[in-house]
Amino acid sequence: MSTEQVTIAGTEVLITARETEPALPAPGPTYYDQPVLKKPVWTMEIPLYYYVGGAAGASLVLGAAAQLDRSGELDGLVRRCHWAGIIGSTIAGGLLISDLGRPERFLNMLRVFRPTSPMNMGAWILSGAGPTAVTAGLLMTRPGFWGGIGDLFGFASGLFGMGLATYTGVLVANTAVPVWQKSGRILPILFGASAMASAGSIFDMLLENPRERRITYTFGTIGRVAELAAAVALERQAAQLPVVARPLKSGASGFLWKAATALTAASLITSLLPNRTRKKRLIAGVLGTAGSLALRFAVHEAGVASARDPRATFGPQRSSTASTALPQPDSTPLLSGR
Amino acid sequence: MTAAKGFFTDTTLCIGCKACEVACKQWNRLPDDGFTFTGMSYDNTVHLGASTWRHVAFVERPVALNNQDAGAFSWLFSSDVCKHCARAGCLESCPTGAIIRTEFDSVYVQPDVCNGCGYCVVNCPFGVIDRREDDGRAWKCTLCYDRLRADMQPACAKACPTESIQFGNVDDLRHKARARVEKLHRNGLTEAYLYGADKQSQPGTEGLNAFFLLLDRPEVYNLPPNPVVPTKTVKKAWTSMAFAALAMAGVAVASVLAQGESRS
Repeated sequence: MSTEQVTIAGTEVLITARETEPALPAPGPTYYDQPVLKKPVWTMEIPLYYYVGGAAGASLVLGAAAQLDRSGELDGLVRRCHWAGIIGSTIAGGLLISDLGRPERFLNMLRVFRPTSPMNMGAWILSGAGPTAVTAGLLMTRPGFWGGIGDLFGFASGLFGMGLATYTGVLVANTAVPVWQKSGRILPILFGASAMASAGSIFDMLLENPRERRITYTFGTIGRVAELAAAVALERQAAQLPVVARPLKSGASGFLWKAATALTAASLITSLLPNRTRKKRLIAGVLGTAGSLALRFAVHEAGVASARDPRATFGPQRSSTASTALPQPDSTPLLSGR
Repeated sequence: MTAAKGFFTDTTLCIGCKACEVACKQWNRLPDDGFTFTGMSYDNTVHLGASTWRHVAFVERPVALNNQDAGAFSWLFSSDVCKHCARAGCLESCPTGAIIRTEFDSVYVQPDVCNGCGYCVVNCPFGVIDRREDDGRAWKCTLCYDRLRADMQPACAKACPTESIQFGNVDDLRHKARARVEKLHRNGLTEAYLYGADKQSQPGTEGLNAFFLLLDRPEVYNLPPNPVVPTKTVKKAWTSMAFAALAMAGVAVASVLAQGESRS
């Protein structure tokens, strides 16, 4: 302890300061530790939407790919993929609408076309995915001309599916939230991989036809491997600035993040075990689904924690060079910083 | 479009009276947002938000200041407000087009269009805009759009008793502000500098239509030192998305082709 005599408003007072300040996570002042940014107002519908929309999108992509097989043996898989896409994008739309502050105005999303807004782009992608898949499902089984049109709509739904499964990564990256912004290069890849794993897990639990199963197994397994790899890459990228990466390591978001990796790894190992019985496939599917869900919630919660932390906002901005014109962080001590 | 209008908030003149907060609440008929005692100096308002469009920050420092007679102590007051950025994160991210650039170059949320998606909330690098829970829509300072249309100045500037909040053409305000900084430097207040006055000093937002004269680092006033509009850094994410989407399609096609022959 050290005491210091200072004059405040003409009165001499003793200020006692601790010799060692409590260890601050990062140097520099804050305003009474208050957050700079507003925390996301989104509730659990939105991370659920990331999952459902992702699974629906990846299913549509797989469905369009299965159309390439002209033998007719994969018609069942194409149909099931379309159904997954239709049901998924319908639920996804419902989740988005219910999270709006004014749900009755959801159509306002489509009154502009605005490439600077990933949410606007996503609204267009989502409204393309469902209807094209429905049209494909209605027409594809018909012979001749209308069947061909159905095929085209099937491929179109695959294109929309590609967007639907990955754009949410850009949606999250295009924010002022430090942990989301700083992991922007990896997030779309992570979300895309997670979407593949999600679709693979759903088909693990549902499919019985051996050939269809081999296809969805390959697709889902690559998805799980890519999801694990992208998660490692994201953590590494964020770790360049420890104050930004903190929500991935501690708190509820850190727990979810670790749980996601553990669950996806467990599902991958289960699916790789020899002699794939129905029981094993069910277990792999349940673990994979839980892993993908945990991942989406982890990313959401990490964003909330990151927005609440003023040091996560200030730190990266101070380490960029453009702010050298401003007074430097170590110039004076501050009461309000403690 | 008329000349760009904005605020120059000179924090050296602010006396912390909160008349701006009150005038703003009254004119815009904003609901209260709780009556809590924070213990944070005289600041019980804490943040800008959906129902608080002016917020006076109270900073107590154990540092002497040349124009204050309090020994090794000084007060800093600053009335914070929406910055009406030249590149506005809220506007660029708004999926409905509810947020527009007005004829006064201010950034305005059209309440009859906003559907409360909440995306602007996470896109403001200053944490200004927020969604009002009972109302469901996003709200922030309008630069008193209704008053400007009637040739009046915004309520906060009108109410400010010390001209700490100055309203006018942004170009004129910049000149005034630079002259003010020079004068303060001559008078020994060498800490004074402008925050967000132009594109050069704040490239991330390309300058603010509501800029500030500060006496300490921006963080002290809860302002970000180098704010960047999210859209400016997001190109890499779009590129990654294209890669991820194509890779997914590739894996899907490969999965189908690799299992192309029926083995059973």
